[in-house]
Amino acid sequence: MTRERNNSPKKNQPRVAVVAAGVISPLGAGLEATLEALRAARDCISPVTRFPVEQCRCTTAGQVDDAWLKNVPNDRRTRRLHRASRMMICALTELREQAPDFEPELSVVGTTSGGMSFGEDYYRALERKELRPRHLPSWIANYPPQKPVVDALEACGLSSPCQVIANACASGTNAIGHAFECIRSGRYTRVLTGGYDALSELVFVGFDSLQAATPEKCRPFDAARSGLVLGEGAAVLALENLSAAEARGATILAEIAGYGISTDNHHLTQPAPSGIGPRQAMERALQSATLAPAAITYINAHGTATPFNDATEGKAISELFGRVPVSSTKGMMGHSLGAAGAIEAVFTILALRNRFLPANINFRSSDTELDIDIVANEIRSAASGAALSNSFGFGGTNASIVIEARAA
Amino acid sequence: MSLGIAGLGWVTPLGATIEEVWEKLCSGAAPEPTAISESLGEKTFRAYQVPPAVVAEVARQPRLRRSSAISRFAVLAGLNALRDANIELDEASAARTALIFAISNGGVIYTRRFYQKIVESGAAAASPLLFPETVFNAPASHLAAILGITGATYTLVGDGAVGILALKMAEELMTNSELDRCLVVGAEEADWLLCDAYQRWRLLRAEPPIEPFARPPRGMLLSEGAGAVVVGREGKLSLQCIHPGGNFAHRRELAGHLDAIARDVQAGNSTDVLIASANGTFIDQAEEAAAKNHFPEAAVYTPKPALGESVGASALWQLICAAQALRTQQLPPLLHVPADCGLTSARVPSEKDWHRAVVTSCGLNQQVAALALQLKSISTDR
Repeated sequence: MTRERNNSPKKNQPRVAVVAAGVISPLGAGLEATLEALRAARDCISPVTRFPVEQCRCTTAGQVDDAWLKNVPNDRRTRRLHRASRMMICALTELREQAPDFEPELSVVGTTSGGMSFGEDYYRALERKELRPRHLPSWIANYPPQKPVVDALEACGLSSPCQVIANACASGTNAIGHAFECIRSGRYTRVLTGGYDALSELVFVGFDSLQAATPEKCRPFDAARSGLVLGEGAAVLALENLSAAEARGATILAEIAGYGISTDNHHLTQPAPSGIGPRQAMERALQSATLAPAAITYINAHGTATPFNDATEGKAISELFGRVPVSSTKGMMGHSLGAAGAIEAVFTILALRNRFLPANINFRSSDTELDIDIVANEIRSAASGAALSNSFGFGGTNASIVIEARAA
Repeated sequence: MSLGIAGLGWVTPLGATIEEVWEKLCSGAAPEPTAISESLGEKTFRAYQVPPAVVAEVARQPRLRRSSAISRFAVLAGLNALRDANIELDEASAARTALIFAISNGGVIYTRRFYQKIVESGAAAASPLLFPETVFNAPASHLAAILGITGATYTLVGDGAVGILALKMAEELMTNSELDRCLVVGAEEADWLLCDAYQRWRLLRAEPPIEPFARPPRGMLLSEGAGAVVVGREGKLSLQCIHPGGNFAHRRELAGHLDAIARDVQAGNSTDVLIASANGTFIDQAEEAAAKNHFPEAAVYTPKPALGESVGASALWQLICAAQALRTQQLPPLLHVPADCGLTSARVPSEKDWHRAVVTSCGLNQQVAALALQLKSISTDR
């Protein structure tokens, strides 16, 4: 591995450990179920059941089974909560089981749409002239995007200031990246981070209206890729100053070693064809980690399977890294928007700790325009090393983080 | 780390230049709320809206031709703040500038229109032009594109306290020596749907005035606009302390959280001015207690009776009021306050000049934060 860390001006900055994590996604509830699904390269996309999709091109999504939200207490208060809150509670409960003493000084969490489906319910109730529907006040109170974060903290007996980042599909990676920088600056010792999003009709139809969603399988980086499918879920990571974590004997799952952010001003929904936005984010993440491109042994790509995203991301990866192994896990679970960066960070940590690279499923043929090494359809064994996880979003926001996992 | 305020900008129902709006506030002016109706319901609500002429010029920007009102407010406020700071961004300086947005309800007008089509006519009728403008970070994206910012751009979402949380994030980002400044913008647009929701939540009143600190609380009126602050490492006004804030799971917990935050922000200092977020709702009682317990000598002001409750923009408007109070050594009249509330409402300093102002911001949905602003030297340039 090419490392410059000892000679870098950042050598005296604190290192940042991941000491616990929790996840719920279409792949399963919890790290164990998720690892099993990742190993099996399981396709967890299914027909949408939550709202009508017969007028949409795309009719499938990655969906979290409500039965998995079993960790959520079934009392009067939590029954009113949005599914997003329940997913966050589930993920945070798993994290707390691993690190019961972890008391964050700050929480930085990404999302795109908060409790959007409660907003939809509210609108439909108005439209039907149901002036006094029983649930209306609770829909309003549980709609705001900060609510699931506050709910999860409260349910797990925690209290910390919250920063909720809504940078579209890059939100989860932005949240981890900012949390990382908060610790690396020396201003914080423990920061809770992550991302969440629950499927909603408005967002589903929105992507469909843009023809960004596919009626077929989601095939990231495939020559015949035709668009994304949406997903949902939540993931949280406990970040801690590495020295402090080691001093208290904490289990270190991984280190977050670098973070890069860039803004591509080309278009509200399309990346610049040159790939400058993704490239700058990845370059800045490497610079932040004081690593050379050759040190990266795996990239968990944003890889939405839209023609534009995969072309620009693939171009940037190829130019910067050559033929490093790349996979997008969105073929397995869909694009969970604000949760994607956090869930994919957990996927990357789980896979690398267990010495394999996640599969890029539904891959049939290489795009001749993209000179990249896709981990096609089956997992691949992996040696230790640093990985990059990418997330790019509407508004031209791009984020990359460098993850160095510790062997399980 | 101490940060300085280099420039201010706002777009309000009273106008869009700092001095013009401040003079109106000091003269006791308040805009007339406009009526908002909608086919969804029979009710008509009143809200303080930005006159269309205020944003007519900025709306001609190619990037803003199809944008929602919130983006236009945000862009104008951001450009005004940079102008106030005498900063004209070029490629090099834009690369050393971060953009942080504070948003609560976001592009609700386009969101309502987009979903309305789905409900009325089905998914096939959904507009691909509207959907991108419904995304929370659309306003930030437009301003970043207009300014050529290619580095860090963040949109924070939350309730009325989110503006202070965005300033806290700016403080965190400024530990990076590769950044020279952060442009922090809070923005919101008013819509019938929001009025209906806040009314059903028993937080809205039908007609003005907003009566802060009244018992029982009688409710607020929504407003719209944007506030923007250029945060750098220098400035006559320093952001002495930005508290990271807290969350209250239940309304009854707010007073305790605010009390602890106010204690931290006061921390043995002498505070001359308190710009509260009191808006005629349940938060007022907590703010009144914090003012009496921790800032008993401070002159208290809330801009909400004059400007309305602009949620995501409100904390930035409060900060601008605090800055203007210190810059001009003057406060507007505290409108519609009960005679017996017992808070200090001085308009000018009595014995010594005002040097320190505290802004407290209590959101309506669980977030609370505060900051302190310090004037380094009295200037006569304003």
